[in-house]
Amino acid sequence: MLILTRKLDEEIIIDSDIRIKIVSISENTVKLGISAPPAVEILRGEIYDKVVESTKEAFAQSKNTAPALPKLKINKLNNKNHD
Amino acid sequence: MKIITHQFGELEFQEDLILDFPSGLFGFEQLKKFVLIKIGEELFYWLNSIEQPEIAFPLFGIGVIDDTYPVEVENEAFGIVTLNPDPLQITVNLKAPVYINQNRKLGYQKIIDKENYPVHYNLFVA
Repeated sequence: MLILTRKLDEEIIIDSDIRIKIVSISENTVKLGISAPPAVEILRGEIYDKVVESTKEAFAQSKNTAPALPKLKINKLNNKNHD
Repeated sequence: MKIITHQFGELEFQEDLILDFPSGLFGFEQLKKFVLIKIGEELFYWLNSIEQPEIAFPLFGIGVIDDTYPVEVENEAFGIVTLNPDPLQITVNLKAPVYINQNRKLGYQKIIDKENYPVHYNLFVA
């Protein structure tokens, strides 16, 4: 892994069109400003990791036969608005 | 063409049904081609890989769960389902929907960075 030291307001540039700027620094938190072309997907690492883990679990569970589904109600999101 | 699937055994279908996933799925980025399978009145769709036909993901149409879910033009939003022998433990991933455009035969997965869309959303209530 490449490790660079940056100060407040300094930037790094990746591939000439992605700029990451140190916007603020406090005790435990660094704020980054990122500008990149719209096609570049920017994700928080822990969310990406959680999604990948869930997709792998979904694949592992898909090998089991789907259970017979009794007449269960679908758990609607925002159901407060519809009742 | 013919593939041997885990869930349905040998499956034969027209090649023009193949969906292109240029970026694959998160964690399965190498898989670029799928076929979407729906058997009769079954609740789940199956997104079956063409390149590795033993890999398939059950999908559920998110519109049924939430009619205010973010839509993408011409696309249908599906959530990847984590099955469980106990139906009440079956979850749908609302955080990372799979969008499929059946007309253009294109698909992609996206992460929606919003608190109210969990990775494991219980599909059923008792």
